[in-house]
Amino acid sequence: MVTDTTSDDPVFEVGEFYQLITAHLEASFGRRRPHWVRGEIAKVYEKGHVYVDLVDAGSASSDTKRPVLNAHCWATPWAPLKRRLASEGVTLSAGMVVSFYGYVDVYAPQAKIGFSIVDIDVQGLLGDVARRRQELIERLRSEGLLERNKGTVLGPVPLRVGLVASQGTEGYQDFTGQLLNSPFSFDIVLVKTLVQGDAAPPQIVSAIKTLDKHGVDVICVVRGGGSKGDLACFDDERVARAIATSSTPVFTGIGHTGDESVADLVAHTRSITPTKLGEEIVAIVSSWYQGNVRTPSAHLLEVTADVLDEASEYLSERRRTMIFAVRDRLRAEERHLVSTRERLVIQGRHLIVSATQMLASSRQLLAAYDPKRRLAQGWSIVTDANGDVVTSLDDVTLGDAVRVLVSDGSFTSEVKAMERPSP
Amino acid sequence: MSNVSDWNEAANELNAIVASFDEGDVSVDDLFSKLERATEIIEALEARLATTRAKVEELTPRIAKVAEGE
Repeated sequence: MVTDTTSDDPVFEVGEFYQLITAHLEASFGRRRPHWVRGEIAKVYEKGHVYVDLVDAGSASSDTKRPVLNAHCWATPWAPLKRRLASEGVTLSAGMVVSFYGYVDVYAPQAKIGFSIVDIDVQGLLGDVARRRQELIERLRSEGLLERNKGTVLGPVPLRVGLVASQGTEGYQDFTGQLLNSPFSFDIVLVKTLVQGDAAPPQIVSAIKTLDKHGVDVICVVRGGGSKGDLACFDDERVARAIATSSTPVFTGIGHTGDESVADLVAHTRSITPTKLGEEIVAIVSSWYQGNVRTPSAHLLEVTADVLDEASEYLSERRRTMIFAVRDRLRAEERHLVSTRERLVIQGRHLIVSATQMLASSRQLLAAYDPKRRLAQGWSIVTDANGDVVTSLDDVTLGDAVRVLVSDGSFTSEVKAMERPSP
Repeated sequence: MSNVSDWNEAANELNAIVASFDEGDVSVDDLFSKLERATEIIEALEARLATTRAKVEELTPRIAKVAEGE
């Protein structure tokens, strides 16, 4: 049964009905009665105004019945909020848990109950950002990605430098200035990217991948100083993963002293500024050059000089030795000849003396036997007809004429008798 | 530079001549020819050394430039 109420209850036109609802809602949730609403950003879209779909934190997107709050922030209140968030390095993005302060507004043409944001709990949001950053770091750590790029091996002479930077910026100038003003010929391969804003991370990721394939010695990610917001893209998970998984060592020089991005944490080596990073790269090459070129060159000069000096000294010494050896040899020969000669003279003298003595004694001996002396003493010599000396009776016969030699002449005599004395 | 081959070979020959002098087993007949040969070797080696030294002098500033990091 249908109860007939038409006669008692008012009948509203659609517009009137919305006005009634709006009035009721405004009384409790309107501009003058704003409320804080906390939730997780499911979707965010900005075009002058900002549109955010807010859901209960932790609810599953697959749940088709989860409540969604269509929030928006008009351009006028959004501008100062955006600046404030940017200065803290926060960009509203899906997954963030945030508290909005605002009021309900009803948009009748689309039958929508919306939520108009007038303020954002920045401190809470920062806490959430910090928490999410910490979670990201823990996630990277548990996957071994904090150390992954540190395990890549940097070649000894990183002269081919891949550069991820925004050309012409201060960071770019500071970094390239160090390399170009060094004495080394760096080959810089630049892949230009944005270095701030939401569009930066995909470009940075793509640049790192391009350079990794290009075969450079090192990839340098460079960005000068800026607000936290400017540097937020270096806390981006995609950037961190690209750096961590690069097979080429990635060096970072991001921001100024004190800034430490997630990109810095996963990098092979981090420098605190682009200038310092340039110095670091130059120092690595310089150290190699010192050790492998400069020091060996100096040593080479010393050794060369030593070899030449030694050779000179050797030749001088040989020359001296030769001269002395020859001189000594000749002197020795001379001395030998002189002494030989002296020996000969002395021996000759001895020889002559002894010969003289021998002759003298011979002479005396001979004188003793001189027949003349015997003849003078009264001896005589008898010779036969042939002139042979008669020494025996057998040499003559009776009647032989013999010649008798005396000291002052001779005479002839005849053998008249022979007497042989009896034994 | 006649009959003087590489440095070490020449130096060995020279050393042998000097050693034979030191040991006194060089006859006077051989003395001159050995001295002449030794002189020839020394002069050849000195000439070679001078040439090498000149070439080194030429290269030294270039290496020094690298060593001093100009």
